[in-house]
Amino acid sequence: MIKFENVYKTYPNGTDAVIDVSLDIEKGEFVFLVGTSGSGKTTLIKLLLREELPDQGRIFEAGRDIVNLPKWRVPYLRRNIGCVFQDFRLLPNKTVFENVAFALEVIGRPKHVIASQVPQVLELVGLSKKRDNLPTELSGGEQQRVAIGRAFANRPLILLADEPTGNLDPATSQGIMQLLDRINRTGTTVVIATHDEMLVNWMRRRVVEVHQGRLVRDQARGVYGIDNVSAAAQSTGRISDSFDEGVI
Amino acid sequence: MPLSTEMVVRETASNLWRNRLMTITAVLTVAVSLSLVGAALLLKQGAAKAEVDWQRGTQVTVWMKPTDTHSEIAAVGAQLRSLSYVEHPCIFRDHKYDFAEAKKLVGPVYSESGITAAQTPTSWRCVPQQPQDANAVIHKFNGQPGVLNVTAPLAEIHSEQQVINILQVVFLLIALILLISAAVLILNTIRMAIFARRREVSVMKLVGATNWFIRLPFMAEGLLQGLMGSGVAAAVVYLLHVVLNDLGSSQTTSSSVLAQMRMSGWEVFSTDAIVVIVGILIGTVGSAVAIRRFLDV
Repeated sequence: MIKFENVYKTYPNGTDAVIDVSLDIEKGEFVFLVGTSGSGKTTLIKLLLREELPDQGRIFEAGRDIVNLPKWRVPYLRRNIGCVFQDFRLLPNKTVFENVAFALEVIGRPKHVIASQVPQVLELVGLSKKRDNLPTELSGGEQQRVAIGRAFANRPLILLADEPTGNLDPATSQGIMQLLDRINRTGTTVVIATHDEMLVNWMRRRVVEVHQGRLVRDQARGVYGIDNVSAAAQSTGRISDSFDEGVI
Repeated sequence: MPLSTEMVVRETASNLWRNRLMTITAVLTVAVSLSLVGAALLLKQGAAKAEVDWQRGTQVTVWMKPTDTHSEIAAVGAQLRSLSYVEHPCIFRDHKYDFAEAKKLVGPVYSESGITAAQTPTSWRCVPQQPQDANAVIHKFNGQPGVLNVTAPLAEIHSEQQVINILQVVFLLIALILLISAAVLILNTIRMAIFARRREVSVMKLVGATNWFIRLPFMAEGLLQGLMGSGVAAAVVYLLHVVLNDLGSSQTTSSSVLAQMRMSGWEVFSTDAIVVIVGILIGTVGSAVAIRRFLDV
């Protein structure tokens, strides 16, 4: 579903954000991108959204080379990618229903489709009762649920989340992770950039670690830090399966 | 992508209302700027009109000797009729008419001096098609049998024409400078309005909106703001025209500049049309240009 082939990205200020990254993510996978601030996680998300272009290398999404995609095709690419951010990015003047409906209106879905699809999405994210509230009337967790609903409204093939729990307390964050897990079970590939150690350790999904722009670890059913691997293995007794793909 | 008209209308209306303070600012900026441009254009048009009037009034007088015979007068008349650069018909003024005119011009002294109508020269009056052709008429008839003298207010026409030409250039320059500053001011206001909504634009991009989908409501907003602002400016220009006309008609001497600059409704309409078209163009194109940098994500 997602494939990076020897991708390099250097910003105009000289920062090497991504160095020789190659990565394969299969359809329906749930992947955590972990690493410290400035390690290159967000750049990888931006490359997937075609907000940035790599200096070198190729990136494929659903079998399509997105680096050589003409500019006018980019909106159509984004319709297949849902995206969630730390700051929610909701439209403050629109209600919960309108925010979710907006994603469908923008891509020209007919009214009757919107009328039937939005309530389903709101049901999934657990906000049916708050459909007429404005984002400012919601808690942080609820706002992130609206953002996830909006990202999922179009049933995208891929859902990208950049620090989705960065502004939320641990209990709310767990709720958000459960929601993303539920979405993943519908067949959507989910990629989450985070440095929320507790959540990564709790979910035990594939972990890809980036450090100073390089991919340093790709681990199935992984945990947050390399130092935690042995501790986690000791506690769960699953060290062999934690190293399915080993340390790169 | 199917772009629903209903959505563009709904988004445009709600955006205009939501950002009403910015909308009012943009409309007022367009109104004030284009009122000034329109006023300068109106004055330029008035100056052009005054020039045409002046040219129309360039009359050459071929004075005939008071003792001339009918055949001498008819011969000059026939020559005048054959000229291609003179507007036809040329008019013949007899002793009585010229005597009355001289009395009016010079005053009672003219008749008190003992001059009679029979001693007053008769004259042919004609208007050259171009004021500069007056010289040709003067050269042609001066010294011909029966011709006393040929006169035309050449010096006056020349200085008057110069003044009006300078006025036209000055008004046109003022209009151009005002137009450029109005365009910059309006563009800046629209950019500020769009900058305040860059987050909204980024969300639209994020969910896969095409550039035209984002651009159209902004352009529709710009068009409406331009239309409203230029509508106000057009009304101001019309009011200015009414005031100038009133002032012009209240002048006692018909030679006053204001009286000569009086324009018909149609002439004002053309200035108003320019103002409205410029307003709409600046609003629409300005929005499209201003949003361009926010679309490049």
